[in-house]
Amino acid sequence: MRLPSRLGEFLAGCRDESPLLLGVAPFGMIYGIAALAAGVPAWIAQLASAVVFAGAAQLVIVQMLAAGAGFVPIALTSGLLNLRHMLYSASMAEYVRHLPRRWRLLLAYVLTDEAYAVAVLRYQRRDAPPADAPDYRHWYFLGAGFTLWVGWQLSTAVGLVFGATIPPEWELDFAVPLTFIALLTLLLRERAGQAAAVVAGAGALLFAALPYKLGLVAAILLGLVAGAWTVHRLERAR
Amino acid sequence: MSTTGLLLLLGVVGVLTYLYRYAMIGLFASRSLPGWLHALCRHIAPASFAALTASALFVTAGEVTFAFDTPRPWAALVAVLVAWCTRNVLATIAAGMAALYLFKFLASLLLAG
Repeated sequence: MRLPSRLGEFLAGCRDESPLLLGVAPFGMIYGIAALAAGVPAWIAQLASAVVFAGAAQLVIVQMLAAGAGFVPIALTSGLLNLRHMLYSASMAEYVRHLPRRWRLLLAYVLTDEAYAVAVLRYQRRDAPPADAPDYRHWYFLGAGFTLWVGWQLSTAVGLVFGATIPPEWELDFAVPLTFIALLTLLLRERAGQAAAVVAGAGALLFAALPYKLGLVAAILLGLVAGAWTVHRLERAR
Repeated sequence: MSTTGLLLLLGVVGVLTYLYRYAMIGLFASRSLPGWLHALCRHIAPASFAALTASALFVTAGEVTFAFDTPRPWAALVAVLVAWCTRNVLATIAAGMAALYLFKFLASLLLAG
């Protein structure tokens, strides 16, 4: 078997990431539309897709801006939500540790949910190159990340163009909480996660009166405590 | 929020997110992630989405209002049911939006009649 070249790996990464764009594109468009509805200038909304490059966090920022939240609560909530990228980073460490720093700096930029999901599978496949042959799998990772990046920028742009032309009566901003509902349902498989969600949801109403939407941060932290406490209790019950 | 405020917010969240991503492959490449952080990360997404959904549906201008005479809470309920049955994100969003339009249409009929 001929070993894949740099370009071969890169293109394979592009190819394997492409199907995921079908799921990503609607989020990008919803984000673009909701950003305009929240009063964010189009160029800043597009810039955010390049700088932050994290769908869920960008939707959260836009939703909180629309609700009139302040700087600190938005930074805290989206900062907390993006913590999960450290898990991806930790999981990827063993595969990219040997690469030069410039490569690791570049790959960190594209280490998103969807690029991670595709790239980690490549590294876990059994056809790893033999120890004496060159390993170009980081090119695959880059191809996957690059494809996702292009898809995210384009779908944001489409959302921004589309959002500027549709009337607010269509209430497309409602697609953001609907997205949260959909993702939440997928996440609620275990008891501790359910406890975290219920307590955070109730907390959001309980602390609604706090200024700058700081109540949301308090609610999420309370939800995390509830999740940790449930894990602890389930472990003791065993 | 002002343009400067937005740019600053973007900078803070962008740098923070990049640092998270670079952390374990660059900054602390020789160390492993502490267990408590691992456990914490699992619950951040459900807690955040639940808090934001509850707030989007039932909080207006800092006050809790259960406005069941408006279409949004009911459309959200339809979305929850579809999410539960299909476990499909796009179907959930589509059903929620369709329900919103349907309920708005029905409400306009009631008001007109």
